[in-house]
Amino acid sequence: MTWSLVGWAVIGLSALMLVIFNILFKNHKAYPVRRFPAVDRLTASRAAALERGKKRAVILGHELWSPAYPGLGLGALSIVSPLLEAEQVKAGGQVIAAGDGGLLLLARQIAVGRYRDGFSKSLIESDLGVILPGMTPLSFTAGLLPELRSQPYGSMALVGNVGPEAVLWAEAVADIKEHVFAAAGPITSQAVLFPSIRDLIMGEGVFLLPGLLKARTSDRAGFLTEDILRMGCILLLVIGGILKLAGIL
Amino acid sequence: MKKILAISVAIVTGLFVLGGYFFQDQLSPFLALIFDWGILLAGVAGLIGVGYLLRWHLSKLINHKKGRFHSVVVLSAFIFAFVAGFVLTPQNAFYRDLILNIQVPVEASLLAVLAVTLLYASLRLIRVRGWSPMAIAFLLSALVSLTLDLGLLQTGSDSLAADLLGILERLPLAGARGILLGMALGGLVVGLRVLLTMDRPYGE
Repeated sequence: MTWSLVGWAVIGLSALMLVIFNILFKNHKAYPVRRFPAVDRLTASRAAALERGKKRAVILGHELWSPAYPGLGLGALSIVSPLLEAEQVKAGGQVIAAGDGGLLLLARQIAVGRYRDGFSKSLIESDLGVILPGMTPLSFTAGLLPELRSQPYGSMALVGNVGPEAVLWAEAVADIKEHVFAAAGPITSQAVLFPSIRDLIMGEGVFLLPGLLKARTSDRAGFLTEDILRMGCILLLVIGGILKLAGIL
Repeated sequence: MKKILAISVAIVTGLFVLGGYFFQDQLSPFLALIFDWGILLAGVAGLIGVGYLLRWHLSKLINHKKGRFHSVVVLSAFIFAFVAGFVLTPQNAFYRDLILNIQVPVEASLLAVLAVTLLYASLRLIRVRGWSPMAIAFLLSALVSLTLDLGLLQTGSDSLAADLLGILERLPLAGARGILLGMALGGLVVGLRVLLTMDRPYGE
């Protein structure tokens, strides 16, 4: 048995589980969605910002694809749709910032797609507020910081592939006593954001975020598949450790 | 129809790239072509991104929004770099020096601000998170790592203390691997959901 075969087996099994659970959850009692207080506070802060007439920022990160964290860009884009609630967009002030042309186009495409699907009659394309403050991490920071300082932001969510400079954006919003939420992917940004942000989601939790905001059947299927894979991985690691201690491996 | 086309292209491309990891010899010529197309599309997306950046700053200027001074600086710098790049070409030594001598100090100063902000944020850890087990563990591990990195603790090669130090030095690596394993599984599920069209980030 080669490692390539193991890879195919894991991918095939995961795909199979996703399909089966997706079918099962459409007709039967669905897998429960776990609660993250940080996500509840994000939803509450966005609603509060809306009521106070303040802006809400969603930062999608610098890259759609990176070799070290390939799924982060897609994961970030997956939260655009659940965050585009009718009232959030109708009131204006919803800003989505991306640091990559591909991310920007896809985020805009999702927003416009919802418009075309008739999701909300009040959604006006020109009000979508998808911006690109800069194309490199530092130019993005230089472009975003004046925007955060000059406009009244009441809530900021950081997702996707952001670097350690994200702490500068977080501090800019935290300084005016407004809410900052992060589901930051790379380990470096998790480490730098941990001391400054209370509502931080780390590790695999980052990929659960779209389902935590608005759980669809496919999200629940994804939760269960991910949980099974995680438990399997833990079991294998423990068994491997025991075998190594016993001198068998 | 457009949706079906987008979905079909996404699935076929995704399956092709996935297959390429396992059947490199057979699929490498096609994969190279797909990657070339991908790079080309990313380049076009980058150009559109530049267009969006300029439009955002122009609209700030036209609508007299707050922070428009920054927009003037950005637009002036862009026009200057763009025109000079066309006239002198990016390979020109004078042009390269001119741009890099502005860009590098500006980025270095931003990094310096970042270092100070990080220090400030670390000092606020307990105020932000309280005396929670995670916060205490974070503080302790940071202190232990800093102490070990100083190299003040020296032990004999075969002693128990050396083994303990080895374990402490390997702990961050083990933690990082744990997080990366979780993220890899998350990334796998996200990728498969896109391939199975349960998620459509290329246009809902």
